[in-house]
Amino acid sequence: MVMTTHEEKMRTVRFRVAATPHIVVNSEICRNECSVHACVYVCPANLFVPLDDGGILFNYEQCFECGTCYIACNQENAIRWSYPDGGYGVTFRES
Amino acid sequence: MRIAVCLKYVPDPGTIEVDPLTGLIAADRLLYMLNPADESALELALRLRPPQGTVTVFNVGPVEADRLLQEALAAGADAAVRVWDSAISSTKPMITTILLAAALRAAELPDLVLCGGHSVDRGSGTVPALLAEHLGWPVVTEVTQFEMQPDELQSGRMRVQRRLARGARAESEVTLPAILGLETGLVHLRQASLPSLMRVKHTPIPLYGLEELGLSPQDLHFPAMTLHEVMPPRPRARVMFTPDCHRSAPERVAQILSAGVAGKAGQILDSGTPEQQADAIIDFLRQHGFLEKSP
Amino acid sequence: MTALPAKEQFDVIVVGAGPAGSAAALLSARAGLKVLLLERGEYPGAKNVSGAVFYGSAILNQLIPNWWEQAPVERYICRRDIAFMSPTTAVALDFRCAGSGYATAPYNGFSVLRPKFDRWLAAQAEAAGAFLLTSAVVDDVLWDDGRVVGVRVRREQGEIYGKVVIACDGVNSFLAKKAGLQREFHAHELSLGVKEVIGLDPAIIQDRFHLTGNEGIAFEYLGAITEDVHGGAFLYTNRDSLSLGVIGQVSSLVERRKRPYELLERFKAHPAVAPLVRGGKLREYSAHLIPESGWAMQPKLYTDGLLVAGDAAGFCLAAGLYLEGMNYAIQSGLAAAETAIAACRRGNFSARSLAVYRKHLKQRHVSTDFRAYRHAPSFVNGPRLQNLYPEMIARSMEQIFRVDGAPKRKILPLAYRMVRQSEIRPGQLLRDAYQVARAYLW
Ligand SMILES: Cc1cc2nc3c(=O)[nH]c(=O)nc-3n(C[C@H](O)[C@H](O)[C@H](O)COP(=O)(O)OP(=O)(O)OC[C@H]3O[C@@H](n4cnc5c(N)ncnc54)[C@H](O)[C@@H]3O)c2cc1C
Ligand code: SF4
Ligand code: SF4
Repeated sequence: MVMTTHEEKMRTVRFRVAATPHIVVNSEICRNECSVHACVYVCPANLFVPLDDGGILFNYEQCFECGTCYIACNQENAIRWSYPDGGYGVTFRES
Repeated sequence: MRIAVCLKYVPDPGTIEVDPLTGLIAADRLLYMLNPADESALELALRLRPPQGTVTVFNVGPVEADRLLQEALAAGADAAVRVWDSAISSTKPMITTILLAAALRAAELPDLVLCGGHSVDRGSGTVPALLAEHLGWPVVTEVTQFEMQPDELQSGRMRVQRRLARGARAESEVTLPAILGLETGLVHLRQASLPSLMRVKHTPIPLYGLEELGLSPQDLHFPAMTLHEVMPPRPRARVMFTPDCHRSAPERVAQILSAGVAGKAGQILDSGTPEQQADAIIDFLRQHGFLEKSP
Repeated sequence: MTALPAKEQFDVIVVGAGPAGSAAALLSARAGLKVLLLERGEYPGAKNVSGAVFYGSAILNQLIPNWWEQAPVERYICRRDIAFMSPTTAVALDFRCAGSGYATAPYNGFSVLRPKFDRWLAAQAEAAGAFLLTSAVVDDVLWDDGRVVGVRVRREQGEIYGKVVIACDGVNSFLAKKAGLQREFHAHELSLGVKEVIGLDPAIIQDRFHLTGNEGIAFEYLGAITEDVHGGAFLYTNRDSLSLGVIGQVSSLVERRKRPYELLERFKAHPAVAPLVRGGKLREYSAHLIPESGWAMQPKLYTDGLLVAGDAAGFCLAAGLYLEGMNYAIQSGLAAAETAIAACRRGNFSARSLAVYRKHLKQRHVSTDFRAYRHAPSFVNGPRLQNLYPEMIARSMEQIFRVDGAPKRKILPLAYRMVRQSEIRPGQLLRDAYQVARAYLW
């Protein structure tokens, strides 16, 4: 199939999930200070889920480690971003 | 105390893709990893190792597995052994365990062997038991926890917790030497330090072939069990409930909504021999399509 | 190579085994230096994404003669298209070349798959004597008396010392930032690329793109393809797959509230693209940032004990006609290695001694190219060139070729009407024409 849903896309990618998150989102700041919620649109892995109260639910497990979210986020300290431990995280096979 | 850990190099299940046309696994898409249950076995062995103890890791596999054994050395294993020979054509548990038993003997028998209970690729879960058979040792499978106090080290006994059905746990004691088959994913393997990671990069791994193990290709010939075919699961045809067409429409709708469950009309079997009662249950299940009708 | 004792010092520590890092490690190791190449992935290339057409064949050929005979290359590129798109039409400039270095050695470009290519290139650095360590994330540089003396790997006893550190850690380069050479980026300076590798039978690829043997194509798309997001798209042929993707400026994705993978789906569904990908099967989806602003986002390139190369130094030419980063990564990696080798000979690793890096970059045409194209990115990434004009071109052609009984218009009045309709002022058009010319012609 050529046309694929986002879930189908993500299923082709291999992640070796580290025990601790490499990205932490401070949902307090998202709720109280951010009106744009840029992360929700730009994340190619669609990992930022907006909550009814304006906060953000984030799961680090299927992350491409691309950096787009922290570049797009306009709030100080809302996203604490680093790489996962050596050997963990996304492992591309063909890209 | 000398501890041996069996490590298997397995394809990451997330990378296994079966070509729908050929039914073959796309080999160039596979990525390999240390079997998760074995990873946890190694970590627990390292935690258990007393000051004078050793941990040796064993693998049956081709040269690509050396990387895995080097990682085990970096994490703290004292020695590693890889078993392979051009005469080895399969890594079925039956054959792997013959090789492992011989390798354990060749490297001087340990006091304790830890295995992952199941591998993510084949997952027959038979390795610990078969290995116990070859060595004539006791085996405990589905182990969730084990510990050893210093005095137990003397007496050669160890306390083991097993998982039973429905979340129940059993505490038991086993006399060493013994084999433990561990549950998957109990703990993660520790991250190796930078100096040890660098040290093992070019560490050669001793290789045992059939000759070193005192085996001949005949010893690996094992006709008792042969794998004929692996088939993808196919759901069995099930008997579907259809309403009785002689009934009125409201009755049929009621029947459909009840999905064929006929009210509270249960039957209590309080007479007859146990055999008769069992037959009655089987009949009931057949009638309602839960069991296939007997041929 | 034998095992190394723990506290051993290296001559050169290279961070990141992408094309920049592996090239730097390879050249330094060949000069007899003791080189450590650190990579955070399980293997080199595990984290890396490009289109990917590698245009550095001739450069690599100087290092490894006939490298393509042993490297995992996909197809050599002998046809390039640039297509201007409206939502339903496409007008393409088609460039085919059968000879003169395109279809003959050393070839102009090859399509590659990064996880395979990067692994191979890093293995060449290893073969030259570099010590490659994977699964090693570098968290920081180590300082002593105001100069960089090594790096800290995120593992126990992770401090490791070297006379020169070369940061080839890619677009996010935390090392350049930690060392105070780079500022934080703005969302308009970076683009996000989302990509798919789509499996397709080699025979179908050859038929569909009129290719024989190992020939390959590289198509680039501008215009309505990314809707109103500033960006473009690409489609390249591999041996038994296609690589295609959409690139969008991060700030503009945010402004337009567009999800990158939805743009990707739209691209594949465009009438000019759908027949090319038909019948394929998705093999892998991926995403990565591109430093689009080139010259404007270049960091300070060196300080005492540290050099920066590749994407980490902003050496990626992403400007409309061009999407080239791997070749500049290799060139700048080599220039950094030349600088490190000279510094080791002199035994002087101060910023002053490393300043010759600029000279080496010039000799390898890296800084000259980026200076020449310094006006391209800001302009090309603007809405008019990436979206509006390409779409206008496509729409004009639509009308020029239309036969519907209405009187035929000549091209000039037609174009004039197009411009009038499109709210672009004539003065603007002239200024843009001048900018295009300045960006690409002189
Ligand atoms: C979608 C897309 C399409 C592209 N298409 C093309 C194309 O067709 N042709 C072309 O020439 N260029 C293309 N580019 C640009 C090209 O990919 C880059 O310019 C090129 O990869 C830069 O090489 P590099 O070695 O500098 O960085 P990278 O390739 O990014 O390598 C950096 C390496 O450093 C490692 N690393 C990073 N941080 C650390 C750390 N802290 N510790 C240890 N290791 C670390 C990474 O894992 C990685 O291996 C494209 C880019 C994208 C995103
Ligand atoms: S853009 Fe930043 S602050 Fe806003 S919701 Fe996302 S993470 Fe939170
Ligand atoms: S790094 Fe990229 S993939 Fe990961 S959460 Fe941020 S935007 Fe999403």
